[in-house]
Amino acid sequence: MEDIIKFFLDPANWAGQAGIPNRLLEHLEISGVAIFVATVVGLPLGLYTGHTGRGANLAINIANIGRAVPSLAILVMVLPVTLALAPVLGYPPPLGLNPLPILISMTLLAIPPILVNAYAGLRSVDRELIEAARGMGMRERQILRSTELPLASPVIIGGFRTATLSVIATATIGAILSGGGLGRFIFDGLNQGLVGRPSIYAGAILVTVLAVAVDLGLALVQRRLTPVSLRKPIGTPSRGWTQTAEVPQSGGMPGPI
Amino acid sequence: MRTPRVLALGASILVLAGACSTGGGASQSAAAPSAPGSSAPSTEPASVAPKAPIKIGSDNFYESELMGEIYAQVLENDGYTVERKYKLGSRQERIPTMDAGQVDMVAEYVGSGLGFYAKDKITGDGQANAEELQKVLTPKGITVLGITPGEDTNAFVVRKDTSDTLGLTKMSQLKDHQDDLKWGLPADCDTNPLCKGALEEYGITYPPKQRSALGACDVPMAQALDGKAIDVAELCSTQPAISQFGFVSLEDDLDTQPAENIAPLVRDDYLAKVDKTAFAALLDAASAKMTTEELTKLGVLVAVDQKDIADVAKQWLTDQGLLK
Repeated sequence: MEDIIKFFLDPANWAGQAGIPNRLLEHLEISGVAIFVATVVGLPLGLYTGHTGRGANLAINIANIGRAVPSLAILVMVLPVTLALAPVLGYPPPLGLNPLPILISMTLLAIPPILVNAYAGLRSVDRELIEAARGMGMRERQILRSTELPLASPVIIGGFRTATLSVIATATIGAILSGGGLGRFIFDGLNQGLVGRPSIYAGAILVTVLAVAVDLGLALVQRRLTPVSLRKPIGTPSRGWTQTAEVPQSGGMPGPI
Repeated sequence: MRTPRVLALGASILVLAGACSTGGGASQSAAAPSAPGSSAPSTEPASVAPKAPIKIGSDNFYESELMGEIYAQVLENDGYTVERKYKLGSRQERIPTMDAGQVDMVAEYVGSGLGFYAKDKITGDGQANAEELQKVLTPKGITVLGITPGEDTNAFVVRKDTSDTLGLTKMSQLKDHQDDLKWGLPADCDTNPLCKGALEEYGITYPPKQRSALGACDVPMAQALDGKAIDVAELCSTQPAISQFGFVSLEDDLDTQPAENIAPLVRDDYLAKVDKTAFAALLDAASAKMTTEELTKLGVLVAVDQKDIADVAKQWLTDQGLLK
């Protein structure tokens, strides 16, 4: 314990490429890019399947493969592929070692919660409301934008929270393939015998603190985006029709999926 | 909903950290009363040496498991009951496992094994490394038995095309090309005298301009070398990937790498239960036959030809005339 505190107090651990600020930045970069790509892929698919109800089973099941296969396995499995593709696609081979494999495995990890929650969020919107919107002459796109999306936003953001939390925690494994990020503290520590122990624990603590901090931030965003009528102040019952359009407030994935 | 769970995770990591820092002391004190002298000879029959069941462990890679299996079969052949607990993890996980008495014996590299505790004490002499390692392990109640003549040491390796174009065969030739080459070095190289120190001895400015941190002797390191993501890799001298991919091992012409002979480490509380001299003699006989060539040959059988480790061990022991 004392050694871990010493690790955090050592100025050498706060400076340069191997310092905590730079590793934190690298970690956020990897996680951010992975979440961005996963959103570009997963969100439209989730919204489409959620709005139309078409192809949901297929899309969700395919996406879930990303969650079923361990990220570490994906990381090591794609390494020979990204290395072999380097001359073909014309990127320098070191990119095929790092960061491509970690970005691919983190993106695959992030897609399922984003896609599934977007789908589940839209599905959870009261059908009668959508019919009413349609009856008022709204077009499909308008229904999606002004009726479904606002009501589903807490669940959709919940998907981002799940995805972000998993990615921040798991991106540590990128260090195995020479990647940067907070995982370096853990893996470099593992390689150093007894002296490396504080580094391992410091890395684990940093990752946990980062994950919790980002999750709390997203929880605030989630609350902000929740329509006032759907917010549930503690102790006061929700009003009117919102009782039928029950939407889970937590970040977890809703049950029926 | 999830936040408390994450906090709980954080808390449990802290608890774990606390538990680990006290773990070493507890296991030491537990091992102390079982030092060799404390066994009561009156409970043992005088004529027949007892053959207490032994738990043999190994690290999570083929060579460690192979050596463990060789020792296991030698003991079984002599009438011992062996419980195999292979693939315990890396040294970082295996050492606490053995300290806690979960395994009685494991095959260890004397250079790296010593390096875990005291990196500056490692030398190029295997016997000296074994003696230093014994000094570190005596307070923990662990005995180092006889070492193998063969060793598996770290080697700097390049692709065949790099070797041909640059005319590289020796480590001392690396100096002139150091900035053009992409180096694959283990993450602990900065603090490891056998890595950073060795490179500096060869006149290489550390750290090299282009460097990737990968596990030494690991599969990704070999793959990265093959895929040209790196040009120089630190691998193990008996690693099958070297022959598999046709890599060229650079000669360590300044003898910078430590002696990595292999020796069985046995817990003293186990040795107290058996005839220590006969037990050691059995294992030493097998160790004595394990040369670097044999180790490399067996490595190819296991890691490239995918033969069963137990079969490979049995065949080798039979060929060496070590089974009765």
